[in-house]
Amino acid sequence: MPAGRRGPAAQSARRPPPLLPLLLLCVLGAPQAGSGAHTAVISPQDPTLLIGSSLLATCSVHGDPPGATAEGLYWTLNGRRLPPELSRVLNASTLALALANLNGSRQQSGDNLVCHARDGSILAGSCLYVGLPPEKPVNISCWSKNMKDLTCRWTPGAHGETFLHTNYSLKYKLRWYGQDNTCEEYHTVGPHSCHIPKDLALFTPYEIWVEATNRLGSARSDVLTLDILDVVTTDPPPDVHVSRVGGLEDQLSVRWVSPPALKDFLFQAKYQIRYRVEDSVDWKVVDDVSNQTSCRLAGLKPGTVYFVQVRCNPFGIYGSKKAGIWSEWSHPTAASTPRSERSGPGGGACEPRGGEPSSGPVRRELKQFLGWLKKHAYCSNLSFRLYDQWRAWMQKSHKTRNQDEGILPSGRRGTARGPAR
Amino acid sequence: MSRREGNLEDPQADSSVSLLPHLEAKIRQTHSLAHLLTKYAEQLLQEYVQLQGDPFGLPSFSPPRLPVAGLSAPAPSHAGLPVHERLRLDAAALAALPPLLDVVRRRQAELNPRAQRLLRRLEDAARQARALGAAVEALLAALGAANRGPRAEPPTATASAASAAGVFPAKVLGLRVCGLYREWLSRTEGDLGQLLAGGPA
Repeated sequence: MPAGRRGPAAQSARRPPPLLPLLLLCVLGAPQAGSGAHTAVISPQDPTLLIGSSLLATCSVHGDPPGATAEGLYWTLNGRRLPPELSRVLNASTLALALANLNGSRQQSGDNLVCHARDGSILAGSCLYVGLPPEKPVNISCWSKNMKDLTCRWTPGAHGETFLHTNYSLKYKLRWYGQDNTCEEYHTVGPHSCHIPKDLALFTPYEIWVEATNRLGSARSDVLTLDILDVVTTDPPPDVHVSRVGGLEDQLSVRWVSPPALKDFLFQAKYQIRYRVEDSVDWKVVDDVSNQTSCRLAGLKPGTVYFVQVRCNPFGIYGSKKAGIWSEWSHPTAASTPRSERSGPGGGACEPRGGEPSSGPVRRELKQFLGWLKKHAYCSNLSFRLYDQWRAWMQKSHKTRNQDEGILPSGRRGTARGPAR
Repeated sequence: MSRREGNLEDPQADSSVSLLPHLEAKIRQTHSLAHLLTKYAEQLLQEYVQLQGDPFGLPSFSPPRLPVAGLSAPAPSHAGLPVHERLRLDAAALAALPPLLDVVRRRQAELNPRAQRLLRRLEDAARQARALGAAVEALLAALGAANRGPRAEPPTATASAASAAGVFPAKVLGLRVCGLYREWLSRTEGDLGQLLAGGPA
């Protein structure tokens, strides 16, 4: 019966005669002529059973001198002596065992059922494999890194544990032609995953499925059909830089580069930015960053270190209509906002460079005001750029005033200090 | 190995005198290797019994210590033999172990396919036994005590025969082989230690 994934095995002995059978006969289960020792044979040897089923086993003693008796024999299972009421002497040399409602095997190498002589010595052993057949694998998901490979992941099945070693095999083929292929690189991104490194076709769908097999049977997942172009992901954007925006204490500028692996391919790119305060675990995500490689974070806390990450979704490759798959996040890049006495508003948003209005509430209202002003007050030169310049000027003059008056942060008076870092 | 009178004008005399510290260093090195491998063998045995399940890991577990074809445990009389003879027996045992460890590894690949660490340890053990055996033989050759008779071929084992045996006997066989591996490494370490204490001459 199948026993899961088998390692490479020698097909035949290089030199006759093979010594292992002799070697093994010396270990257990074979009588030794003239030695006065008894051995036994357990039947069945290494059975496979469903959880909850029953087992009737026998231990038959033979040896030299003949007339070995089953008197005094006893059984252990995984080292524990079994109650005598489960055993019965069938005949002079055979002890039977009846086990009911078996639990799942304790270890994948099988439960150890052992027949002992009266003095406790081991006469014979047999390994029980008690479990469940595999369930249909589900939730297959796949992605291709830069259209060069395919990695798939799946879930074993609703109940998971079979108590038996279960082998999973990912299979794939081109939808309308071609032979079945078997993935070979397993456990690349978790226990139930496989990686196909090369020789993949584009613009034609693949059929992908997973087969699960153990000693009690096999199961096959539903077939997933996909085109490589619809499941493309890429590396995180490289060269992410985060820097201050002049003296603005509540803003940071983020710049990055489009992933170079896809530079020769026609696609659109969506980006996401996330950032958090240095000693926090809560990330804030900025979603509305489409097809540009820079962004300004606003509404940040002054004098605070932020960690920033960027990721990319290369959707629309060669006209694919699917949503695409987000890359991993880039390595965190840290920067700090300038220190200020005034704390900025807590919200976070991405301001595109060039001073276009953002979605923060204060700045939204200001945008509306500026729009009204342009219409009714002939202030054609008003813009957010002017507003930011005004804010920077305000901070600078506020600091200068504080230094002149010897006011420290928190409003205390004292010796004037240089600008805070 | 005889020691010549020192003679600055006799290059041969110089080389034999200068060989001794080198040889001593080699013995020391091989002894350290044996000591390290003995520790690894202990870890291998512990990992092995854990993965076979009880009663293999229980202190009371006592399967029959029947002989394994091609390799026996160090005899009680081993300790009374001259050190060179003991080292010859050590080298022969170390040469016999790798194919047995390979058989155990192949069987465990079927029984415990997810036990990557155990499988790696078994593979390493075969390689390390070869290496230590070769080092001991090199020492014996340097001491002029190498075995001059025809070299006994180590037993070969087939995976197909291994897979035909019952699972429980295969588990016991593996335990026996891992136990013998540890015993022979420990014996080799002890014998090299005696050689070190006595000096190469």
